[in-house]
Amino acid sequence: MENKAMKLVLSGAPHFVTGYDIQKTMGMVIIALLPALAGGVYFFGPRALLVTAVSVVSAVAAEFLFRKALRRETHITDLSAVVTGMLLALILPVSSPLWMAAVGSAFAIVVAKELFGGLGGNFANPALVGRAVLLMSWPAFMTRWSPSLHAAAVDATTTATPLGILKLGGTITDVIKSVGASGKPALYLQMFLGNHAGCIGETSGLLLLLGAVFLVVTRVIDLRTPVAMIAAVFAASWLFGRDPVFSVLAGGILLGAFFMATDYVTTPVTPIGKWAFGIGAGLMTVLIRQLGNFPEGVTYGILLMNVVVPYLDKIIPRKFGFVKPRKVNA
Amino acid sequence: MSLKTFRGGIHPPEHKEPTRDVPIERVPTPTSVVIHLTQAIGAQNQPLIKVGDRVLKGQKIGDVQACPAAAVHASITGIVKKIEPAPQSNLKDGMAVFIEADGTDETAYMSPLDAFACSREEAVKRLRDAGIVGMGGASFPTDVKLAPPADKPVDTIIANGAECEPYLTIDYRTMIESPADVVEGLAIAAHIVGAKKAYIAIESNKADALPVIERQFAGHSHGILMGTIIAATKYPEGGEKMLIKAVTGREVPSHGLPADIGVIVQNVGTLKAIKEAFIDGKPLIERGFTVSGGACKTPKNLYAPIGTVVADLIPGVIQLSDDVRKVIFGGPMMGVAVASLQTPVAKGTSGILFFTAAESKQYEERQCIRCGRCADACAAWLMPMLLNAALLSDDLNRADAIGLVDCFECGACSYVCPARIPLAQRFKLGKDLLRNQRAKEARHGK
Repeated sequence: MENKAMKLVLSGAPHFVTGYDIQKTMGMVIIALLPALAGGVYFFGPRALLVTAVSVVSAVAAEFLFRKALRRETHITDLSAVVTGMLLALILPVSSPLWMAAVGSAFAIVVAKELFGGLGGNFANPALVGRAVLLMSWPAFMTRWSPSLHAAAVDATTTATPLGILKLGGTITDVIKSVGASGKPALYLQMFLGNHAGCIGETSGLLLLLGAVFLVVTRVIDLRTPVAMIAAVFAASWLFGRDPVFSVLAGGILLGAFFMATDYVTTPVTPIGKWAFGIGAGLMTVLIRQLGNFPEGVTYGILLMNVVVPYLDKIIPRKFGFVKPRKVNA
Repeated sequence: MSLKTFRGGIHPPEHKEPTRDVPIERVPTPTSVVIHLTQAIGAQNQPLIKVGDRVLKGQKIGDVQACPAAAVHASITGIVKKIEPAPQSNLKDGMAVFIEADGTDETAYMSPLDAFACSREEAVKRLRDAGIVGMGGASFPTDVKLAPPADKPVDTIIANGAECEPYLTIDYRTMIESPADVVEGLAIAAHIVGAKKAYIAIESNKADALPVIERQFAGHSHGILMGTIIAATKYPEGGEKMLIKAVTGREVPSHGLPADIGVIVQNVGTLKAIKEAFIDGKPLIERGFTVSGGACKTPKNLYAPIGTVVADLIPGVIQLSDDVRKVIFGGPMMGVAVASLQTPVAKGTSGILFFTAAESKQYEERQCIRCGRCADACAAWLMPMLLNAALLSDDLNRADAIGLVDCFECGACSYVCPARIPLAQRFKLGKDLLRNQRAKEARHGK
């Protein structure tokens, strides 16, 4: 059969590709963040949803408009801007002005991501850059904490986070009192459930772990980095005489470890690199909490480690066939 | 029973169902064939015949005094019409002999040779004269493979029946339909290299071929210790290095050969060809292959003379749907998309796939998001995302330092990449660029 009309496609092997793409990856992360977002709404009211929506819309719009302005192809359907917007909202106080959330996430997208070439080109986690900038620009808004709607003890409109209480010279007993717990075990439980002051999505260890398990089971994230980071926080807190369990549950450790320190683009690709990144981020966080002016250090802990990723990527694991030749039994 | 395997790899959809249970069909002798003079890795053959000559099926028509190289033979009896370049399955036009059948079935086979009675030199020469090459796709001359240097004793030989490429089922059918030939060929190959142990390794999805094969051990093993191995169904389990790792636990050294660690691997189709070369005196002039793919209305396993032009099989043997957009020689992971249906079946053709427009979809390449899936999939334990970054910044030295040449282009990284980066293709190109750069440096005495 001589079929002159037949046009054949020529392309390099393989001629076969998995259905799994960037959009699906980001979709999984969004699904995994939903429990924490729901927790935010439950503990801090519907405004949590509003702040998140504004942040997401601003992130997507910023990416779309910026790329349009540069006459480049837009990729908002890959959902990566949605993830950045969500992550940023989850690390803002629920009382954040909406304009501030919008500014933060637009800054995260345009400056931290697009100016470096878009998804894949950025060296620092965009959501964390956004939070760092907001923290420096409007520290008052960024440290105005609302108590959980379901807190037992307080009826004030503003309060301090558990870590904030410690930073102001309080003791763990003051923290126990602040959440209305009866003792340490009850405190741990309240902390784990998320029934305390903090950023929208960071308070509930339970809901964060739910999302994390989903990402681990679906093999979206690698456990090495979060395990290393949590272990480092636990050990370093203990060495400094801080309550290690409380230290892991308080602040943004779990959110940071499972959702920020596992960001593909801005963390190492090699197994050793992942361990080192996690340990480094954990140590930095505790050092900032203990010695710095901030009560919390996850943001800067991870951002500082983002910077050294190119060096960590230089530690290449053993390749196939790099063994000493073994003796053959003739 | 835990299955033997290697670390890394992928699980693409198998697509073997359409042809798995279809017996191998011998195609009617074509009226003409196009036989490329050089069909093996190595030196270029010279024609031994002239235009107008009558050649017999099995007659040697191309050879060269060099090593490695493999002779080629006429696969039908007829008249040499012309000797000129023709498209081949590596996308380069190669010098080919066009033979028109004269309707007779005269053959010019060699006389049988007892591999267990002749000298090793005679046996190796027989492989050379029969033009046997690796039929899994690599087309490396078998006589060279089965004659490793004396300082590298081989203790184990593995028959590769893994057939890890999706769609392909010809090795499976060969094992089911000609188990005695495979075992006999394995015994001959083991005897030639002096291997004490011989294994037949298959993937778990073909486990039903094992009892069929084991039944032949008694009559055809010639005293060689034989066993069967079930390896995990995973791509690229049938990669030579991967299969050796799975079966023996040994790692072929980087830049080394299997013989360096005392192992030889041969595809089951090649073993059948070895048996035929000795017992029947028949050179490698025919082979089996799978035809399949979404645009192929008649998925099946065929047995055809080397040199059969694909277009000549349509529509008598193969029927295609109208939306054929891609024709692949080999499997979907490592096969080559050809430009023309005038491409003939070669010694290394294990399958011909016809893909629809939907199956031939091209994707936009995005920036690497460093998700690490390529590294998980890499059977050579490389960091494809870092190789990609090095090559994109034209840093060949960096790419070399982190293992560019250890990539064997299985394509698993490209398959899993969510950013649709043609990683394997880029590494293939990078290896060429690196080879050129190193050659240039050598010339300039650097």
